[in-house]
Amino acid sequence: MKINMNKIYILMCTITGVTLTYYLNHHMGYGAIISNGLIGVLAALLLPAPLAGVTYTASFVGMSSAAIIPSIALATFGGLVVGLIIITTTEIYAGIGGKGGTTAAMATIITRAITGLLS
Amino acid sequence: MEISLIIGVSVLSGILTYLLSNKLKKGPVFGSATVTLVSGIIFPYFFPEFGTTLMVVAACSSYAGMVAVKNIPSLWEMIIVSVITSLLFIVTSSSYVGVGGKLGTIAALSCFTWIGFKKFILATNINVNNTLKHRSVGIWS
Repeated sequence: MKINMNKIYILMCTITGVTLTYYLNHHMGYGAIISNGLIGVLAALLLPAPLAGVTYTASFVGMSSAAIIPSIALATFGGLVVGLIIITTTEIYAGIGGKGGTTAAMATIITRAITGLLS
Repeated sequence: MEISLIIGVSVLSGILTYLLSNKLKKGPVFGSATVTLVSGIIFPYFFPEFGTTLMVVAACSSYAGMVAVKNIPSLWEMIIVSVITSLLFIVTSSSYVGVGGKLGTIAALSCFTWIGFKKFILATNINVNNTLKHRSVGIWS
């Protein structure tokens, strides 16, 4: 089986993006907006454009409140979910402002639903 | 007062993101993230009362500003999209609180609203033109 490295990079970026944003947001207390902006600027400066977009999209999941995603482990799981959604829906509605946020909202709700089922 | 402030901040944020990403060619991620970060620092400092709401509105509008030029080709259209974003934000302020991606969804809905409206007007114009052509043929033939 041939492994597509692009998809691995996307998953790595989403998991890192969500976990870092969640950490900045809840553990360091910067708040959702500043954490998201910080991760976005860093991603735009350090990563190639497609991966920066993916990381920025993933960081929206990390903006969730502790009532929705209660722990950093679940945030990491949310990163995996958003990564899989991004890989599946790359071509859909490209160039529409807010597409990333909609993807992130879907990932957050799916993560919340799975957490609810398992708890 | 607060509503007009929300609309004003939304328009400003949308325009800035659009200019940064499309006109200055910095890319949508850098444009939106910069506006989000700066608004997150500035608004709570200068507006202690409404600062939190304003920074969230600015972030929401900056997500709408990430739209591609082919979908929103002019700054005037971006202003209209930003106004729609702010109105949607006000209407949906109590829904899905704390869900990551809510603001992006509002931004996407605003973009779809304007793009759909444009397509509707275009389709109506084409229909009107076709009807007029048929009538003119009917009159002169």
